[in-house]
Amino acid sequence: MDERTNLLEQIMAYDFVLYDLQLFLDTHPSDGNALRDYKMALEQSENLRRQYQAKYGPLTTRYLPNTTCWQWVNDPWPWNKEA
Amino acid sequence: MWYYEKKTQYPVRIRKPDPRMAINILTQYGGPNGELAASLRYLSQRFSMPTKETKAILNDIGTEELAHLEMIGSMVHQLMDKVSPQELEKLHVDTMYAVHGRAVFPSDSNGVPFTAAYIESMEDPIANLNEDLAAEQKARATYEYLLKMTDDPDVIDPLRFLREREVVHYQRFGEALRIVQETMGKKKFY
Ligand SMILES: [Fe+2]
Repeated sequence: MDERTNLLEQIMAYDFVLYDLQLFLDTHPSDGNALRDYKMALEQSENLRRQYQAKYGPLTTRYLPNTTCWQWVNDPWPWNKEA
Repeated sequence: MWYYEKKTQYPVRIRKPDPRMAINILTQYGGPNGELAASLRYLSQRFSMPTKETKAILNDIGTEELAHLEMIGSMVHQLMDKVSPQELEKLHVDTMYAVHGRAVFPSDSNGVPFTAAYIESMEDPIANLNEDLAAEQKARATYEYLLKMTDDPDVIDPLRFLREREVVHYQRFGEALRIVQETMGKKKFY
């Protein structure tokens, strides 16, 4: 696995934890333990996301790299097999 | 993947209920030229797009159409909210009430449920983009019809916004078609 994919899959793992906790918190909005876990995973995800985007370009259009080209369109898109 | 944002793309704040208009607008929720069909069409077709620009535009317009679906659903909901069954009967929109109550269900204005038969997705990107141009024009025409059926500014305002978005989408799909044709020309595909 290349470095990009490796970093991306770490983000995906934290983001999945976040989403699963989100669903739990939707039906248990006052569960302090779940909220604490959410906060921890969120910090990890944001930290990795910062690293990833600086190196490999945007995951969302709200990250704008300091370049003259709109990098959002760049391959690979998630449904593409890596070349 | 997607994340939800707790806002609509453009404000929807309808003060006066109008169940007849709700049913008319419902076709843009689950009808043949509606926002659900648009979104599913583009998000399915994006997998067959051959260039980075056309992958991006199908992905991003398909995503925007989901936001439009939400606006239309909000309009239908607000126009139907708290209207009594007696009132619905008087206005002759009680058959919808009999089936769904005042819920938002993906159907056209006649109650015909949504079907994927409204859309196509082919491996041929030229076929897809030509369908998309037609779809945007049909959606625009539908918004023109809807605009003729109300004089409530609260309803007209978001409908106008949605109509203008169809015009922009049409423009972008035209550019996407040109990009695909140029790329394919270079690769000597016919
Ligand atoms: Fe559109």
